[in-house]
Order: sequence, then structure tokens, then C-alpha cells
Amino acid sequence: MSERRIALENACAEFEADLVLHYYGEGQEAERRRVESHLETCQRCVRFMDDLDGLLPRMSKTTELPQNFWDNYYREVVHKLNQEREGISWWRSLIPSFGGWTIPAFGTAVVVVLAVALVFGKGDWSVRSNATQQENIPQEILSDSGRLEFFGSLDLLESLPTLENMDGSRLESSEVRSL
Amino acid sequence: MAFCQRGETKYFEILVRRYMEKAFHIALNFTRNTEEAKDLSQDAFLRAFTRIKQFDGRSGFYTWFYRLVVNICLDFTRRKNKISWEPLDAISDGAPERPELTDVSSLPEDVTMAREAKRRADRTLETMPNKQRTAFLLRNHQGLSIADIAKVMKTTEATVRVYLHRAVSALRQSLLEFV
Repeated sequence: MSERRIALENACAEFEADLVLHYYGEGQEAERRRVESHLETCQRCVRFMDDLDGLLPRMSKTTELPQNFWDNYYREVVHKLNQEREGISWWRSLIPSFGGWTIPAFGTAVVVVLAVALVFGKGDWSVRSNATQQENIPQEILSDSGRLEFFGSLDLLESLPTLENMDGSRLESSEVRSL
Repeated sequence: MAFCQRGETKYFEILVRRYMEKAFHIALNFTRNTEEAKDLSQDAFLRAFTRIKQFDGRSGFYTWFYRLVVNICLDFTRRKNKISWEPLDAISDGAPERPELTDVSSLPEDVTMAREAKRRADRTLETMPNKQRTAFLLRNHQGLSIADIAKVMKTTEATVRVYLHRAVSALRQSLLEFV
């Protein structure tokens, strides 16, 4: 085993890549001749080639699968292809019926409608936002108008300092006027 | 091919028949799992069907299709973040055990050694950079020429030769004691 290891490790480094290509039947004619002439004189490289011959074909052997596997495989692919075709065709069939010009025209129309809505629809949207604010008030509060007033009075309490300030400023202005 | 590009599935089904075994085996080389290989290779056919109009005919269909299969497999292995390089005896889907490296002798110690060699080879392939593995699998397992591998991988033939040499060297090193 150890002798074998040494022999493999000492295979001619400058030929190794060419030997791999030679094994696979690749390379130019001149390269092949050069490798073959080298193999006539170098036993280490011959052993290297023998090792490739013994190792690589065994790695590439494929599994023999039964015919029914391939029949099922084919049927599954055809089924998936049909599903794929149906999935594609329902929306592709729409395009020819409208014609090629309809898509950009439709896009332009959508942009115009959005622009008009943005320019002229601001008032409506603000009303709508007020409505949504009211919708956000819980039903148990809305159902009792007294509670609503109570919460209204809370708002008033919160704004008392502001009102007092306002009163103060009015008082001051009235005093100035009286003077 | 023109009929396929018009979306006619019955012509595409001919391509499925022709390439299903190759597609499946490429996926199996990458995943080492029959079910995953089936799903991935079938996905490749669906993707080929939906993208057939992108096929410009500059290269052969199989080169274009192999590229799809390889990319799907590489995406899958990246997503999975590991490759399920199960030992051969772990594949239990009713298919016969792969002959490959395990089928060398009926002696128990030889069988054990062959299985260990197989595990080592799988492990080496697992840890190999994607490009080296792809080049090796396409050449050694699928029998593609270096020129075709270069087209599939969208790289130069010289680069593929380097990938192939490195892959074979790594495998040889890992299997030194079993050769």
C-alpha cells in the first residue's frame, strides 16, 4: 500500500493534466502523441492511467431503473406541461382579442383617471376621512349621547388653560381700550 | 424546435422522451436522491418549456437544456446548503443498489472497503467546488465533451480542463489507499 502511495504521488506532475485529458480522449493530436510517447517510457504514468481506468468508470455507472419508472416519469412531465400550458394560455388568450395597442392605452387611461381623482377629489377624501374618524369611536360611546358629551367636556377641560389665556388677553385688550 | 417555440406541447414531449433519462441522471449525480432528482429534472423540463423562445439555436438544444438542469441542481444544492450525498445503501426506493464502486467483490472485507471508498469519493465530491464538480460530473458521468461542457458552463475549454484535472486529482488523492 505504501509503495503504491509513493508511486501515485510521484506521478509526473507536468503530464498529469494531459493524462487526465488523454484518459477522456480529449486534447489535440499533437498532445496525444506527446502523452503516448511519454507513456511508453514512464511506468509511473502508466500506473496512473491504470488507476484512472479502474476508478473513474466505476464512479459513473448509472442506476438501471425499471421501464415503469420512466413511463410514470414521462406521464408526470406531460401532465405538468399541460397544466403549465393551461396556466399560460388563459391570460395570453386575452391579449390577441384586445389587440396590441390596448395595453398602453389602458395604462394611459388609468394614469389619467388617477390624476383627475387626485386633483378634484381632495374634498371628498377629507369628508371621507372625517367619516372614518367617527367610525373609529367605539359603539358603546356612540350609543349614549350623554357619554359623548362627557368626553366632549373632557376636551373642554383640557383646553381650559388655553381659554383662560385667551380671556386674559381679551381682558388686557379691553383694559387698554378703556384707557 | 420551431413548433416547440410556438408552445405546442406534443412536439416538446418528443424532447422529453429524448432527454428525460439524461436529465434525471444529471440531477441524480448532484442530489444522490431519486425523488429529488425526479422533481428537479421535471422542473427543468417545465422551465425549458416556458423559456423555449429564449433558445436561439446558436448552440445545440441539449447544451442549452443541460445548462438549465445544472443550474437548477446547483440552485437546489445551494438552497439546501448541503448535498444529500447519502451512501448508496441508503437509497431505498425499490431501485437496485448502484453497482459503481461497491460492486467489486463478494468477500465481506472487500465489500466493506468498497463502500468506504464510495463514501470517501462521495465526500470528496461533496466538498469539491461547484464548478469542479459540475465539470467532472458532466465529463465523467454524462460523457459530454470538454467543448460542450464549456458551453454549458459558459466558460472556456481551458478552464474546463483545469476544473477537470483538479477534480480528478482530488478524487485520486482521496482514494489513494483504495486504488
